[in-house]
Amino acid sequence: MIEVVLNDRLGKKVRVKCNDDDTIGDLKKLVAAQTGTRADKIRIQKWYTVYKDHITLKITRSTTEDMGFEYAEVHYSSIYELGRDYG
Amino acid sequence: MANRTDPAAKSIRGTNPQNLVEKIVRSKIYQNTYWKEQCFGLTAETLVDKAMELDHIGGTYGGNRKPTPFMCLVMKMLQIQPEKDIVVEFIKNDDYKYVRVLGAFYLRLTGIDSDIYRYLEPLYNDYRKVRRKSPDGNFMLTHVDEVIDELLTRDYSCDIALPRIKKRWTLESLGVLDARKSVLEDDFEEEEEKDEMEQDGLEEEVAHEKDYYRARSPARERERDWRRDSHRHRDWDYDRDRDYDRERGRGRDRERDRDRDRDRDRDRYRLREEKEYGYERERDREREGRERDRRDRERGRRRSHSRSRSRERKRHGRSSMSPRRHEAEDGNAPEESKKKGKKEKKEKKDDGTDHPDPEIAEANRIRASLGLKPLKL
Repeated sequence: MIEVVLNDRLGKKVRVKCNDDDTIGDLKKLVAAQTGTRADKIRIQKWYTVYKDHITLKITRSTTEDMGFEYAEVHYSSIYELGRDYG
Repeated sequence: MANRTDPAAKSIRGTNPQNLVEKIVRSKIYQNTYWKEQCFGLTAETLVDKAMELDHIGGTYGGNRKPTPFMCLVMKMLQIQPEKDIVVEFIKNDDYKYVRVLGAFYLRLTGIDSDIYRYLEPLYNDYRKVRRKSPDGNFMLTHVDEVIDELLTRDYSCDIALPRIKKRWTLESLGVLDARKSVLEDDFEEEEEKDEMEQDGLEEEVAHEKDYYRARSPARERERDWRRDSHRHRDWDYDRDRDYDRERGRGRDRERDRDRDRDRDRDRYRLREEKEYGYERERDREREGRERDRRDRERGRRRSHSRSRSRERKRHGRSSMSPRRHEAEDGNAPEESKKKGKKEKKEKKDDGTDHPDPEIAEANRIRASLGLKPLKL
């Protein structure tokens, strides 16, 4: 079980517990349940890498070890930064 | 320039007609290749050609929120603002269903309330299938009348916020519109007469208990089909499950009356053995009716969508109240208690919702409701 921190740079910061074999699509659903936005309006990215729905968190973790937080433009679809706080 | 509205166009609802589409979706459309290539310099006539080539409707899809060609054409229509006659022609044409839907959509965005109801309600009779692109990029099946219903009752469709229109009964009370007359009203009255005749025929079959359920359901399925087609009443809330609506509609009261008559004869003997007479009879009749519906629904679907195996088992256990149970009552008792034991064990394993840590239990509950597996600890 890992815990993922997501931040939309507009004040919503969300911690979500999930398995590392969950996909980004599942993560979006969990975030939607917690924040109240619609799951299909959420875009999850790290810096400028937008993650597509079929990617699992295990993969995102392995490819982006050292990227820090960076500013992300927020559109009507909420964009969440993946934090590095993997519990 | 390509993105400027025609200067001769009227303003709609006090603003540039293109502003009916919100800013972000609008910019997505402007950046879209279909818009840039195909929709440059379109006029009303050439727009018809493009509309005939449409093969799906939809809003924005995918991670990037890409707009569909349907949306681009709606935008183009807002930009050039064709005459009302042309739009009505789009709607009246019978050959190309997507042109029809396009015209209906545009009219819904720009027309006045009475016009909208007047021109869109005849489209309720169009049952043709329509392909719809869902937000995750896959295609879904829908029908023309479903789309029209969405336009008339919802206020958001295809990622465009639909302007508010007055409710139908408001317009009726103002005298602007007549009361809604469904085209299927005559068919419905015929069906009512047929039902009366059916009722007499079915009561004879009640004598055979074993064949009771089997004999009843084909007739019921047939009726269900009739009722599905005739009960296209606009004021229903289509959010609710369709089967449930079908059962709960006008037909249900009639059926319950019929069932009550039949049940009263049948159950009088059986129920007197188990329970008190008066009060329980009402309750069981209700429960039987409900369970029969549930059983029928299961039968129709043939698949239980409930993830929890325990819930399924409980459902079967209760719904065997009618004929079958009363025949094999003794054999069932030990089986049921064994099933209950298994059910409790399964719940602990499957959902993980009763984990000691409340946070994890909560998370697992959310995951179960979304259809995800529980957390691996």
